[in-house]
Amino acid sequence: MEKELLRVENLTTSFCIDDQYYAAVDDLSFAVHENEIVAIVGESGCGKSALALSIMQLHDKKRTKSEGSIIYKGTNLLNEAESKLNKVRGRHISMIFQEPLTALNPLMTVGKQIEESLHYHTDLSKKQQKAKTLTLLEQVGIPYPKRTYKQYPHELSGGMRQRVMIAIAVACSPSLVIADEPTTALDVTIQAQILDLLKDIQQKTKMGIIFITHDLGVVAEIADQVIVMYAGQIVEKGSVKTILERPLHPYTKSLLHSIPTVKKEKNRLHVIQGMVPSIAKMNRSGCRFKERIPWISVQSHAQFPRLHEVEPGHFVRCTCYKQFHFPKEGGTAIR
Amino acid sequence: MTLLKVEDIKVYFPIRGGLFHTVVDHVRAVDGVSFELQKGETYGLVGESGSGKSTTGKAIVKLHQVTAGTITFQGKDLTYLSRGEMKPFRKDIQMIFQDPYSSLNPKKRVLDIIAEPIRNFERVSVTEERKIVQQYLERVGLNPDSIYKYPHEFSGGQRQRIGIARSLTLKPKLIIADEPVSALDVSVQAQVLNFLQDLQKEFQLTYLFVGHDLGVIRHMCDRIGVMYRGRLVEEGTSQDIYKNPQHIYTKRLMAAVPDLSPDARGQKIGLRKQVAEEYKQLYSTFFDENGRAYDLKPISATHKVALP
Repeated sequence: MEKELLRVENLTTSFCIDDQYYAAVDDLSFAVHENEIVAIVGESGCGKSALALSIMQLHDKKRTKSEGSIIYKGTNLLNEAESKLNKVRGRHISMIFQEPLTALNPLMTVGKQIEESLHYHTDLSKKQQKAKTLTLLEQVGIPYPKRTYKQYPHELSGGMRQRVMIAIAVACSPSLVIADEPTTALDVTIQAQILDLLKDIQQKTKMGIIFITHDLGVVAEIADQVIVMYAGQIVEKGSVKTILERPLHPYTKSLLHSIPTVKKEKNRLHVIQGMVPSIAKMNRSGCRFKERIPWISVQSHAQFPRLHEVEPGHFVRCTCYKQFHFPKEGGTAIR
Repeated sequence: MTLLKVEDIKVYFPIRGGLFHTVVDHVRAVDGVSFELQKGETYGLVGESGSGKSTTGKAIVKLHQVTAGTITFQGKDLTYLSRGEMKPFRKDIQMIFQDPYSSLNPKKRVLDIIAEPIRNFERVSVTEERKIVQQYLERVGLNPDSIYKYPHEFSGGQRQRIGIARSLTLKPKLIIADEPVSALDVSVQAQVLNFLQDLQKEFQLTYLFVGHDLGVIRHMCDRIGVMYRGRLVEEGTSQDIYKNPQHIYTKRLMAAVPDLSPDARGQKIGLRKQVAEEYKQLYSTFFDENGRAYDLKPISATHKVALP
């Protein structure tokens, strides 16, 4: 087993809505190892991005509360002061955001933005910074590094911008990168290129990646471990092969059933009824997914389902998976 | 029966520059595209962003003026009709837009949004109008009592269904769906796709389905046209395109689609490298010196490929 990089233990992140705190990330525990890509999947509103921002501590401190522990190299990041965190962010743990056009500074040239992170975290001279930036640009597959160095983000295409984001993220050779839907805004051909690039860099540097996505196809392409999140909790966890080939939790099964793929012929898609509950209105006892599978009898849901190991390395929350089946008629009524 | 025939349409946008702000060049967004839609079928246009697929869709409803070519709907040439002359055809061709957040007027109630086409084209009393709106709302799976709500009170999937209800009220013959599910979550996407299929059966609709998600296109479409830089590079039944892609660009597109089985991963990366290599080598045989794809040539009864 590779060395453990980051361990999240019983992390609960709550947001303040009308003077009340509601947990968006609810008692979450997992670990990321060196040279490992952990994918976090779920619909929007499941708390995937809230989790990513909690690890980076980028939430507004006045309106959020994080409890539990995020242990990186023996220290709990939740207890660290902001100045200490600034030394970790970008240097040891860095982030790739979903929409490169909003994440990049429109008034700074690409080169300067990459140098910025080198400037804060390393003691390279100006000249060395520039040299390093050019090699980084080349590494991420930008065809003319010298020209791109002087360009502004708006002059680049979406795929090129995302490559710049990756260059910024890996500039200081971090040991962990959190990628929050890095390919969602991109075309399939560009997406494939970016995924291959990330995988390539990851294999060379042995870094760990937390890869957040809602696209199960992307998960199959890149992940080693998969965490399926629903309503702020982990509902299923295991290796890619287990999760995609032998899923147990009704939510994972439903997700896999609802995607149209290139291989399947025309037939009806499974529709997951209802939607992800909002954190303020959520019923927090019992299986949180039960409202969306009403045809399963109430008795099969445990009162407080625990995440338990069903086979080595495969964890499932909820007990109703034993009885779970899809409704008879392919799809269900739209409502 | 051919419902819509698009022949060699071009949509050019002028690039102005120089001293007198004269037209110096054109962006050839759509550069000679031809296809036919049979009644009751779903035709898919796929391609990357910037390939001109949305522009083609919008040109058919005349949201973009066509530079050259003809658009024939039910045997009538629509290309150069004036606004007034076009009006009777607007009833028959409706559009579903990509982004349910920007295509519904935030200041209007659901009732007004859905009733707008009826108000433009038919004379019905207020009570009757409300009845029609409620009936369509129910049909798209929304609560008929929500007619006095505003768009912001609905989720993305629900909004998209309001957009669909609006496009249905005049009982159109052709619906142009411009990436109707790309802004939605997978579970909601499944809902909307199933629903579009149901409607097609119920109202005998013909769809022109514009999209970039190859899985969705496969699921929905009978015939598919692959677009690249404003030109069709391949056209055929979904079998032809997915099982037997001939054009180098189509092959590259197919290789980029993520596979759901993790076992195929290594193989897939190899395939992508191989196709990328092939693409570089064969580029000059599939595109002319200006980087333009050749005209489509039939290679079987249903399958056409852009070859020299």
